[in-house]
Amino acid sequence: MNSHGPRPPIAGLAHVTKTFNGHDHRTTAVRDVSFEAFAGELILLLGPSGSGKTTLLTLIAGLSRPTAGTVSLFGRDIERFSAKELQRLRAEKIGFIFQTFLLIDSLTARENIEAVLRFNGTGRSARRTKAAALLRRLQIEYLAGRFPRTMSQGEKQRVAVARAMANDAELIIADEPTGSLETKQGLGIIRILHALAKEGNKCVIVASHDLRLAEFTDRVIRLEDGRMTS
Amino acid sequence: MDMYAVRTLRSQPLRLALTIGGVSLCIVLMFFLLAVYRGVADGSVEYIRRNKADLWVLQRNATNILRGSSLVSAAQGERISRVPGVKTAAPVLFLLSTIRKGEKVGTIFLTGYEPESGLGGPPQLVQGRAVQTDEDIVLDRSFAEKFRFKVGDPVDLQGSRLQVVGISRGTNAFVIQYAFVTLRFARALIGFPGLATCYLVQIDRGTPAAAVQEKVRLALPGLEVYDHRTFLDNNIREMKSGFLPLLYTVAAIGAVVLTVILSLLLSVNILERRKDFAVFKTLGSPLGFLWGLVIKQALLIASASSVAALAVFFPLVRLIEKLAPEVSAKSSLGQIIGIVLVVALMSLLSSLISIQRLRRIYFLEVFA
Repeated sequence: MNSHGPRPPIAGLAHVTKTFNGHDHRTTAVRDVSFEAFAGELILLLGPSGSGKTTLLTLIAGLSRPTAGTVSLFGRDIERFSAKELQRLRAEKIGFIFQTFLLIDSLTARENIEAVLRFNGTGRSARRTKAAALLRRLQIEYLAGRFPRTMSQGEKQRVAVARAMANDAELIIADEPTGSLETKQGLGIIRILHALAKEGNKCVIVASHDLRLAEFTDRVIRLEDGRMTS
Repeated sequence: MDMYAVRTLRSQPLRLALTIGGVSLCIVLMFFLLAVYRGVADGSVEYIRRNKADLWVLQRNATNILRGSSLVSAAQGERISRVPGVKTAAPVLFLLSTIRKGEKVGTIFLTGYEPESGLGGPPQLVQGRAVQTDEDIVLDRSFAEKFRFKVGDPVDLQGSRLQVVGISRGTNAFVIQYAFVTLRFARALIGFPGLATCYLVQIDRGTPAAAVQEKVRLALPGLEVYDHRTFLDNNIREMKSGFLPLLYTVAAIGAVVLTVILSLLLSVNILERRKDFAVFKTLGSPLGFLWGLVIKQALLIASASSVAALAVFFPLVRLIEKLAPEVSAKSSLGQIIGIVLVVALMSLLSSLISIQRLRRIYFLEVFA
């Protein structure tokens, strides 16, 4: 585990194991994983497909609970959060970027961003202002009124990043954020995430099998068959 | 964001149209059945409601004229008229009879009354005049329309030829319609000159009805004497206990079908958009927001269907009344508002059923 002095970790995992029970078999996706993630850090969870990266992300985000070990978020064991508290935590403090963007097709770029702001209780006019500012910051104002089906992959990914930034999240979880992009676009996204960590003092955790991302990150946690190998 | 509910519905226009069509038909069915209910309810007792009799005197244990028999003799009638306080005691004879026109045969509720007193005659004439002679007959408007009778036409009634002299309204009891002839003619038909179904009594001005009612009871213990209100209530009760509850039942089935159709659409919509809902959940959407989306969709469909149903209903009623004049449908604003509220309630119920599906949408689906 890394030591970052007196700063409390944003997310902390201690001997975390996650097992899924099937009808006639059990699958252990994550085995005895421990690490801490701090504000201002960009961490890469690196491993091949099926290594447990995504399961680990869901544990870090409080979307699932560990079978063994403890996961803490913002200094508190997630077992002590109620479902309602976890929902509010996600709305207020966690941003998500998904592999296939998962923008809502029926909403425009601006509305996709505003959705997150609505969930954390931001008022209507403040939502508009903030969504517009984010679109400007990512240089995609021209996408404001467009629906995802009319956007390129790169444009969708930028809108997805804007959505993840909408609630000023302290923790940003990105699952294969460059997986659907060409190399140049992928690097563009990872630079944005890097800037978020360094300039925005966010804790950014990226799961990917793309080794090229390693050079932009502070720490690489390698996973294989659910175990940390480094 | 607020447009999500609308846009997702509009994304499948054919399905949306079919759903609105199905729900609209259910609403039209409810509108129609309740309108028929009201039409029948009013039509069946309108004759009694508009009657100017203060007291109704019938055979013992007879409570109504819709579904019951009563025979009162001329002698009893004579004694009624002699009770102090009785101004007029007019006999009325009700018979089931048939009218023939060409190949068509129609059943009527033949009402024989004394033209001189007018008591027991048609409550409202829309054409022509009341009966004066034994060759005259007044027909109900819907019956006349159905059999294409008009004033002046001859009518064949059980071997006698009468002439239509008037057309009445408020005399359509849906399953049967009233027709009016002289009491003498009606009595001649059955061959018992002194018989009546009941006597309609008008009392002297200023005399308390209850007192006269009691006196008639005492004078003729073998007869039933009802004041106007009680007799009207008896007939309304009798009418309601007949086939009318069936209309309510079918209307209720319409409401259930509406709920099922809506639930199906909403559930399919949720399943098709489950990724959206999983994303919303993962991004921290409160459950209430997701419920709100489903409820909004249900109410949108219910509103659109109600408007469509209203647009169809009135022309449809006009068409049905043209094709089947005996079908009397009456709608009121309150009735329409009531049904629209029921539709809104059922749409909320359908959204609550569909909302259960949201519980089985998991966060992890966004990472698949």
